[in-house]
Amino acid sequence: MERAAFLERVRERLSGVGGFDLPSVVPLTPASGNGLPPVERFPIELAKSGGLARVVPRARLAEAVAEVLGELPSGRRVVVAADVEPYRAEVDAGLEAAAAEVVRPPREEWRAEAATADWGLTSARLGVASTGSLLIVPGPETPRVASLLPPAHLVILPVEHLVPGLEQVMPVLTSLADASSAPVLITGASRTSDIEMTTVMGVHGPKVLRVLLVE
Amino acid sequence: MAMTPDAAVRKRFEDRADVQLRKRHLPLIIGRATDTREARRRDIFAELDLPGLRNAAEAVRAHTVANLHTYLDRFAERAEARGTKVFFAATAEEAVSYVRTLAAKRGARLIAKAKSMASEEIHLSPALEADGIEVVETDLGEYIVQLAKEPPSHIIAPAVHKSRTEIARLLAAHHGRSLPDDPEVLTAFAREVLRRTFLEADIGISGVNFGVAETGSLALVTNEGNGRMVTSLPPVHVAIMGMERIVPSFEELSLLLPMLVASATGRPVSTYFSFINGPRLPDEVDGPEEVHVVVLDNGRSKILGTEYQSILHCIRCGACQNVCPVYRQVGGHGYGAVYGGPIGAVLTPLLVGFEKAGDLPHASSLCGACTEVCPVKIPLHEQLLALRRDVAREQKPVVEGLAFRAWSTAWRRPWGYRLLARLARAGQGMFVRGGRIRKAPPPLSRWTNRRDLPPVARRTFRERWKDR
Repeated sequence: MERAAFLERVRERLSGVGGFDLPSVVPLTPASGNGLPPVERFPIELAKSGGLARVVPRARLAEAVAEVLGELPSGRRVVVAADVEPYRAEVDAGLEAAAAEVVRPPREEWRAEAATADWGLTSARLGVASTGSLLIVPGPETPRVASLLPPAHLVILPVEHLVPGLEQVMPVLTSLADASSAPVLITGASRTSDIEMTTVMGVHGPKVLRVLLVE
Repeated sequence: MAMTPDAAVRKRFEDRADVQLRKRHLPLIIGRATDTREARRRDIFAELDLPGLRNAAEAVRAHTVANLHTYLDRFAERAEARGTKVFFAATAEEAVSYVRTLAAKRGARLIAKAKSMASEEIHLSPALEADGIEVVETDLGEYIVQLAKEPPSHIIAPAVHKSRTEIARLLAAHHGRSLPDDPEVLTAFAREVLRRTFLEADIGISGVNFGVAETGSLALVTNEGNGRMVTSLPPVHVAIMGMERIVPSFEELSLLLPMLVASATGRPVSTYFSFINGPRLPDEVDGPEEVHVVVLDNGRSKILGTEYQSILHCIRCGACQNVCPVYRQVGGHGYGAVYGGPIGAVLTPLLVGFEKAGDLPHASSLCGACTEVCPVKIPLHEQLLALRRDVAREQKPVVEGLAFRAWSTAWRRPWGYRLLARLARAGQGMFVRGGRIRKAPPPLSRWTNRRDLPPVARRTFRERWKDR
């Protein structure tokens, strides 16, 4: 059907309907910020969704990266997205210490590399303290697949990027509408409860999510 | 309408319910699942101003739906400016034919689907399969019911009626290998087989939780990550969106997203909130080349401007199903429709007509638990009652009408009341067993097939008063 005709039909049906106003006051939601400092709250909330976060000073970042990779028995093939470039020296030192194989794929090979990697390493635009969520913004150098295909995802996030609640994410999403095709808010590990309500992690997306909050 | 095979031939809710009730494990499984979800929902809102939140969420939905033409226009404008193709489908046929044409043009052979109630509603998959395309459901629960050749039985827990043993057998049979009934193992196995589907699919199809008018964006809520997969990996993404699924701007999502997820699962957010702004930008590394949005009317505009308009405020959380005593006994399949539970009992007759679904408003005890729990304050049980009235007006059950009129005429007169009581007393003798009427002759048997009745007392109050 033509858009004009479709919308005209809707308009006609609504012609007698009174106007309702958007709410002027909205109470705190289950995803709102509270009084707790974001850097304290973020790890607590993330842990409820099957992810782990810890705060590290920049000077100890390399060490922390190596520790995270060493914690798990998984392989050590790591695809690294370009948005962690500001921490390149620390990241490289950490990955080397963990004896990881580091891959920084050219554009056309990203998908194939990410599909076979053990870890994806990215940064994030924001961290939401109230829910432990990460706003990941794919762009020219950061592909979607880096945070999607590998079974484990490591995020390096400067603490300044933390916001108290979901409300503070919305203006950022509005401003991203023309700048990224698919921002995503990720909270913890991929999960399902489809079999007898038993929660299982890692059904399609990463099973493991680790966040290093850099001071 | 999609139904379970054994319920398919049964036209009336009460007959389909019989089929479901004979599956004795069903109320146990559904009861456990729905109890857990409802308890978690109550927990998460315990410390918050839930009445205030519900008022605000209702206001957002009422405002948007009352101005739907304006917001839909803006949504389409912005989405197209960003390279998304927006198609307005007045009917299910138009929507299906748009997707089939697109699939043919792309030479599609494999389609990966994320969960979408709207696509169930228009029976998209069977149409595409008839064209020789393989359509794979990728939400784990949907994949399970697809293998079982059944429709989903709950809005957000499609396979809630299946036990782990049944699921293990299904997957094993389909893939020709043996599998234990361990959810961890079964999930890992599904991850492996569905991963290939994501990477090889020619088209990804998803639903839409919210369309954002201000920016022409789509918001998708998933926990498994399949929503991100089908909208990111195949070269084409098609989203099917019920036309009422709009919000004015991102700002309103900071309320509606947590209300949806908390009401559905008791968590504040789901694992993935995907925001689709359009196809891959020229300088981006990955993402689909084409994004299409099919805006679906299919009977919705008929509801606008009526007393049922607020049913279009629904955000599809499934909370009304979790608390419904009828749903908890018969499950989603008892409703013989895509949308089950209280929301389905209201929406289905309005969408498909009283002829096909006029019995569904009776699939309720009118207890009002659904209305109490609805995060956008839809007066579901009042709408169910109003629908019963409308269905009766349209279908004019003549015999029933005459019977009730005769009854009312008789009972208005003391002698008529006494006469009927005496007749009932004389006639009921052979039907009373253990102090209850358990089996009455037709047409009263339609009542006693499922319920019993107290018998008429041996002596009336007047008789006892006289002998005092």
